[in-house]
Amino acid sequence: MNQLDLTPLPEARWNHAAAAHLLNRAGWGGTPGEIERLHSQGLPGAVRQLLDFTAAPVAFTEPDWARPDPDRATKLAALRQATEEQRQKMRREVQQENHRHLLELQQIWLRRMTAEGAPLQEKLTLFWHGHFATSAQKVRSARLMYRQNQLFREHAAGHWPALLAAVTQDPAMLLYLDQAESKPGHPNENYARELLELFTLGEGNYTESDVTEAARALTGLTYDRLRQEPVHRPRLRDPRPKHLLGETGDFDEHGLIRLITRQPAAAAFIAGKLWSFFAGTEPSDEESSALAAELRRHDLQFAPFLKTIFHSVAFYEPARCRRQIKSPVQLLVGACRQLERDLPPAPLTHNSLRLLGQELFNPPNVKGWDGGIAWINTSTLLTRHNLALLLTTGENPLPRIQRGTKPAGSTRARALAIGAAPVERLFGDEDRKSPEALVAAVERRLFQSRLPEKDRSALLRFLESQETHGPKQLRGLLRLAMCTSEYQLT
Amino acid sequence: MQSRRSFLRTSAVGGSFAATVPGFLAGTFQSLSAEAEARSATQAKTGRDTPILVVLQLAGGNDGLNTVVPFANDEYHRARPHLGLAAADVLKLNDQFGLHPALRGFQVLQDQGRLAVVHGVGYPNPNRSHFRSTEIWATASDSQKVERHGWLGRYFDHACSGQDPTVGVALGRTRPQAFAAQKPSGISLENPQAYQYVEPDEGKMSDGGSGRPFYRQMNAEVGPSGGTIQNLGSGHLTVDDPRAFLERTAFTAQTSSDTIQRLAAKVKNEVSYPANALAANLKLVAQLIAGGLPTRVFYLSHGGYDTHTHQLGAHARLLRELGDALAAFVADLNALGQLDRVAVLTFSEFGRRVAENQSGGTDHGAGAPVFLLGGKIRPGFHGPAPSLAPADLLNGDVRHHTDFRAIYADLLEHWLGTPSTPILGRTFPPLRLVG
Repeated sequence: MNQLDLTPLPEARWNHAAAAHLLNRAGWGGTPGEIERLHSQGLPGAVRQLLDFTAAPVAFTEPDWARPDPDRATKLAALRQATEEQRQKMRREVQQENHRHLLELQQIWLRRMTAEGAPLQEKLTLFWHGHFATSAQKVRSARLMYRQNQLFREHAAGHWPALLAAVTQDPAMLLYLDQAESKPGHPNENYARELLELFTLGEGNYTESDVTEAARALTGLTYDRLRQEPVHRPRLRDPRPKHLLGETGDFDEHGLIRLITRQPAAAAFIAGKLWSFFAGTEPSDEESSALAAELRRHDLQFAPFLKTIFHSVAFYEPARCRRQIKSPVQLLVGACRQLERDLPPAPLTHNSLRLLGQELFNPPNVKGWDGGIAWINTSTLLTRHNLALLLTTGENPLPRIQRGTKPAGSTRARALAIGAAPVERLFGDEDRKSPEALVAAVERRLFQSRLPEKDRSALLRFLESQETHGPKQLRGLLRLAMCTSEYQLT
Repeated sequence: MQSRRSFLRTSAVGGSFAATVPGFLAGTFQSLSAEAEARSATQAKTGRDTPILVVLQLAGGNDGLNTVVPFANDEYHRARPHLGLAAADVLKLNDQFGLHPALRGFQVLQDQGRLAVVHGVGYPNPNRSHFRSTEIWATASDSQKVERHGWLGRYFDHACSGQDPTVGVALGRTRPQAFAAQKPSGISLENPQAYQYVEPDEGKMSDGGSGRPFYRQMNAEVGPSGGTIQNLGSGHLTVDDPRAFLERTAFTAQTSSDTIQRLAAKVKNEVSYPANALAANLKLVAQLIAGGLPTRVFYLSHGGYDTHTHQLGAHARLLRELGDALAAFVADLNALGQLDRVAVLTFSEFGRRVAENQSGGTDHGAGAPVFLLGGKIRPGFHGPAPSLAPADLLNGDVRHHTDFRAIYADLLEHWLGTPSTPILGRTFPPLRLVG
């Protein structure tokens, strides 16, 4: 591909497969019925609906623990007065409670993804979580992770400088990248460095001195541990002029972000990253320039930029369809949607995502998840095949990850952990007329395309080996189909 | 081709097996040898006689000073009024250094001449970020340079092209960065019981539902049924072809799953291991080695060494696990007749600050000792021990005297038997720790 064709897809090429591609990438995929409904709206209507995050609001009540804790001052005081032993006990209790809340938070988020509400908003929220990777292991507060998650949701398709300003002041981020520790004498450079390197410009587009100066520009911004809010403390502020990205002035974080987003590299960096996430291919330099120009044309607003992408001929090129490796979250959420089944309960989803390498709120490092082929190794692939057993039959073959240092336990005892997939609902009378019709129904539901011949024939031979085609065999059929290489792609 | 020497050794090992274990094992042994022979046309070496490197990361930054303790050094005790270990408590190696009292396992190895200690290992311009420093060790890069591929990945690319994918086995659910290669090789294995396609319980009932034969069929067509994995590894597979990559990984997963299930079930360990996750992993590694898996590198991690607070108890527990697990591993390999072809390297992304902190712990530091264990290592101390005088420290950290890449170079040249310069990008002064 030489030129990135960002012109709108001709109406004649908007078909069921294109609608499936759009829902897979801009959301988490869906049932044949959902895809058909999206298709019937026409491309402009479909994109409009995906970008309208208020169309089908999902009612979620904020858990109590996510709100500011009115007793925090008292608790902190008690902690200060406690003996070392009491303090350790209190810390342990807080940690255990925190762990429960994080499980709950993860499940709330997965439910939002699985719901019909605003799949693109949730997908973007996941993108920003990976982009501004922040780990609860360091932040140690489910409340702050919840708040950051809401921040990403609110700004999901918003304005780049506004999102950067919000993230820079976000308590979880202040803690995670040590801005909370920054002092004027020795400004902590952790956030300043990642802001330039990983969040906005990329290596080679700033100097070491820009990092130091950016850290100075950020002095004064810190974290109020009592109120759990960002705060500006004038006494922590380094007032001397900053020489940043070729300009000089007393920049604060807003000035810093203004300077950064004005850099030529800024638009290309984030536009390219969004393109990779949604289109599934890394843009060339030339393609990045085209994407950057489009984002600049919309004044760094993401919603109109995404609208262009989702309309574009380039996004629907055959070379971009069905060749992105599903992330573990995409796999889990997508499978639950396709199988029209409930999400497994929190401990199971948490364990599955950990085994698959994408524990939410715990990215491996500040670079986030590498994605792509890094999702796949022999261990995670076998886990994907066994997750398919859980989701189709309800039997849980996955080993529990033991915390601490005990060896992993036996996986033999396998109670029926959750309900089975509702196969009666997934296959109609027409589908059950022949093995060929059943396989075609599976292809329609799980792949929206024809399977490679070897997989197709394996499924057919499986059905032919069975005397009946009852629920058990249909679950077996779905599970096998989910073990294909093709199913790992979207 | 198998050399006469390796053949003799294979037979000898097989023989000793047959004398002590039930007959089915001898059968396994024969079939494995047959497999090795079948592969020998395309594979320069089999899994039976080649040296094996086991790399173990002590993740989190192990406190080197409280591991190999300079008990006679006043500076050490001055810097660590609470954490310093007394001369009377350490397990003395000579009149200057002793092992942490929890490392009794290492003392045994030391007495057997199976333990080497390299003092003061690190790299110039040390980085105190776990992530970045781990990356530097994994990719063998300079501190300021980011490399895409791991040093072991480059070894696979350079020296193991076309070999069985189990040439690298990582115990865990991720592919270690050190394995990152142009042509992805190696497998990741967390729990042998979970490392397989699990059949539904309901499929075992009389009216059918079993998908296993068809699962096999789907994943078997990438290569001829003889399992010539070599054909898949060479050339055309790029990361730009996710479908081919998935198919290859699925094929590798299935074949290695079969082998590993078989070996884990049939090869019996000769000693009992302590009950911790590291020991469980090493126990499996011993089974796989004795079973003849054609692996050149095993990669493991032991976590929890980031001891910023209340270090004494936590560190002792970790080192006890480490020492006991490795002592069992070495004893097991010895009993299984495999010790002479195994070298274990332990490293940590950095040591810790010389001075203890206010929370009963230590913060991220720089240089630290590295251990080598095995039947053919050169035991004792290597390299100069760093000074702890405040003026000699680097921002309060132990300076390194031996670049970790010199150890890698030694292991590549003298253990794995391949030129190190193309893999490490330059020539490092020769050390002789192995062989």
